[in-house]
Amino acid sequence: MIILFLVIFDVFVWGRVIFSKPIEDSEIYFLDVGQGDSELVILPNNVKVLIDGGPNSRLLSQLDSILKPFDRYFDLVVLSHSQTDHFNGLVDVLKRYQVGAFIFNGRNGTASSWQELIKAVEENKVPVIILAAGDKIDYLNSRFNFLLPDRNLIQSSDLNETTLVALLKTQGAKVLFTGDIGAEAENYLIQRYDLDVDVLKVAHHGSKYSSSAGFLSEILPKVAVIEVGKNSYGHPTAGVLNRLASVGAQIFRTDNDGTIKLEIKNKEINVFKAK
Amino acid sequence: MKIHDIAFYAAGFFILGVLAAGIGLNKSVVILVTILATAVFLLLGCFTKRRQNFWLAGLSLLIIAGAFYYFNWVNHQIKNISIVFNEKIEFQGIVVGYPERGSQQKLAVELKPPYAGKVFVKTPANPRFNYGDLINFEGTIKNPAPVSYANYLAKNGIFGILEYPQAELVAENQGSFLKSKLFKLKEKILVVIQRSLASEKAAFLAGITLGERAEFSKEFEEAMSQSGTTHLVALSGYNISVIVIAMFALLNRFLKRRLTFVLTTLVIFGFVLMTGAQASVVRAAIMGFIALLAGQVGRLYSVRNAIILAAFFMILANPRVLVFDTGFQLSFLALLGIVYLLPAIQRFFYFNKSAGFLFWRENFLTTLSAQLAVAPILVLNFGNFSPVSLLANILILSVIPLTMSLGFILGAIGFVSYYFSLVFGWFINLLLSYEVFIIKFFGQLDFLQIDYFSGFLAFVYYLILIIFVFCVVFRQKGSRKLMN
Repeated sequence: MIILFLVIFDVFVWGRVIFSKPIEDSEIYFLDVGQGDSELVILPNNVKVLIDGGPNSRLLSQLDSILKPFDRYFDLVVLSHSQTDHFNGLVDVLKRYQVGAFIFNGRNGTASSWQELIKAVEENKVPVIILAAGDKIDYLNSRFNFLLPDRNLIQSSDLNETTLVALLKTQGAKVLFTGDIGAEAENYLIQRYDLDVDVLKVAHHGSKYSSSAGFLSEILPKVAVIEVGKNSYGHPTAGVLNRLASVGAQIFRTDNDGTIKLEIKNKEINVFKAK
Repeated sequence: MKIHDIAFYAAGFFILGVLAAGIGLNKSVVILVTILATAVFLLLGCFTKRRQNFWLAGLSLLIIAGAFYYFNWVNHQIKNISIVFNEKIEFQGIVVGYPERGSQQKLAVELKPPYAGKVFVKTPANPRFNYGDLINFEGTIKNPAPVSYANYLAKNGIFGILEYPQAELVAENQGSFLKSKLFKLKEKILVVIQRSLASEKAAFLAGITLGERAEFSKEFEEAMSQSGTTHLVALSGYNISVIVIAMFALLNRFLKRRLTFVLTTLVIFGFVLMTGAQASVVRAAIMGFIALLAGQVGRLYSVRNAIILAAFFMILANPRVLVFDTGFQLSFLALLGIVYLLPAIQRFFYFNKSAGFLFWRENFLTTLSAQLAVAPILVLNFGNFSPVSLLANILILSVIPLTMSLGFILGAIGFVSYYFSLVFGWFINLLLSYEVFIIKFFGQLDFLQIDYFSGFLAFVYYLILIIFVFCVVFRQKGSRKLMN
């Protein structure tokens, strides 16, 4: 009985190794987690980077529907900044998945649940890496360039401005993950870098204090994704929607469109909506 | 009258007394009715000259005992409470139960002097509190409302509600050693399950093995309710019997009978504590224990006496459960349905006695009789009952014992190797996918919903069921006589 069982196990495991075909394109999911941010980047050969986790465990059911049942490993989990609508869902992920490393900007959160995150990281012995402007992560032909925060912004009294901003170049396309940065950090970005992006994760759920006209006209995104849910702040604001439209960006929103999936291959970007 | 009959009627009358007091009859009414009943039995005894009636006359006086037990118990419970309501106070309390976790935490907290009594505290999901934590609270304790909710909480000895107070941890591990160890073990098994399976399936597996319900999404809970499968995750006699049978079969191979008995009993006891001692689990555990004991001392195990003794002991421990614990009622009614209604249905419709392919016939009859027995309570308390549940249950029950067993094995494997549990989890995943699919599929069929019932209708309904059972039994006795 036991031997039979082991044989089946063996066939199963090798079957997975031999028959799972390599994935060559890159996929980016903007997950519908309500009012909060969560993006899943899947690079060729199923290398997974999860950026932010949304405000609660709703992230888990989203991941359930995307990942295969036995796929329980994230290569990297990246936290943009330590606010609950970005990290709460990560607590569940750290408890339930194997995680290669946890990356954040080094600024501790003030919310009570921050301790839960730290506990989950420590209990599961996940390596912690602190990154800032100038750091890079390379994988095959893909690269994460971390553009912010610099020494000044990391000390900002506004946690939003401490966001770890990442520019992903993969398959010839550029995707900018902005977390919750405001106009001040945006100005920093355009002064410091020569940016033009294909896809923009619109900052701060479409807050009127972000996505300034100057910033947008400089980076000229073709696709703009707003991660937003029910909220009392009026996100996304009409001003931001207008500004995005005026630079010719195609706008997608997780509250109306559900989870948004981008398939990127050889500079070509295909967008799929769940709803 | 034989001793087991005496025990049966004594417990029965006592429970009747608790019932009368529980539904709000006052002392004089109870005494009056009891005396009338005693008189009727005495008269019957005189006329029929059967000694049984004299016995019943004597035992019926226990109705009064039951009622007074209830009154005194409640008085005693209330006397020992000292809670300040509707006023902002600062106090310390210990978490005395396994915290319900989900989008928020719900804690049963025992107040420290100068206050006394238990309150129900709701706090945000974080920071997490554990069993045995001593916490400093600042907030306003309120009376629970409406009355039905207050009664439900009072059943658990809880008399106040405190929502989102300021809460600060003072000390840990102030609870019982055994309980805190068991809860830790439960948490570890939960972690293993959660790390090896997708969240929804993990939640379902945790439900059927450990009765853990906090993790379900609203939609899934709705689907279970609509498809009549909630009982699977509400740890019932069914789950306990799967564990008892599996344990017994496993241990009996290697160990002596007596040792097997002791070990199985200990495991059940630990399991009951670990899962928070819900009424249905306690009921099943007591009955399982009586069954094991009967096997041990070589006495015949009479289901009738086991049921009533289990009920009697539970009511003795907490007389409020009889009227105010829906789980208690569902558990016993379902069991009565299976024990009495099932054979009646089987005979009436000339059902084949074999279990059928994948036990479908057995599962069908069990589900049908249990559902018929609990339907009014379900409608009265939860507002719906769906006949499609029959089909859903037949399809799902066939694989539940296997899923449960594999679930426990998964929990054990997880302590050895994460990767092994991951691969093992994939196999359980197949079963779980099927079960979750069935639940969701039948959960969306919302035609044929029965959602109206009154107390009077329920009374008539049960009367009809009882008459049906008696008719079938008597008809069979009659036909036997003819054959002789």
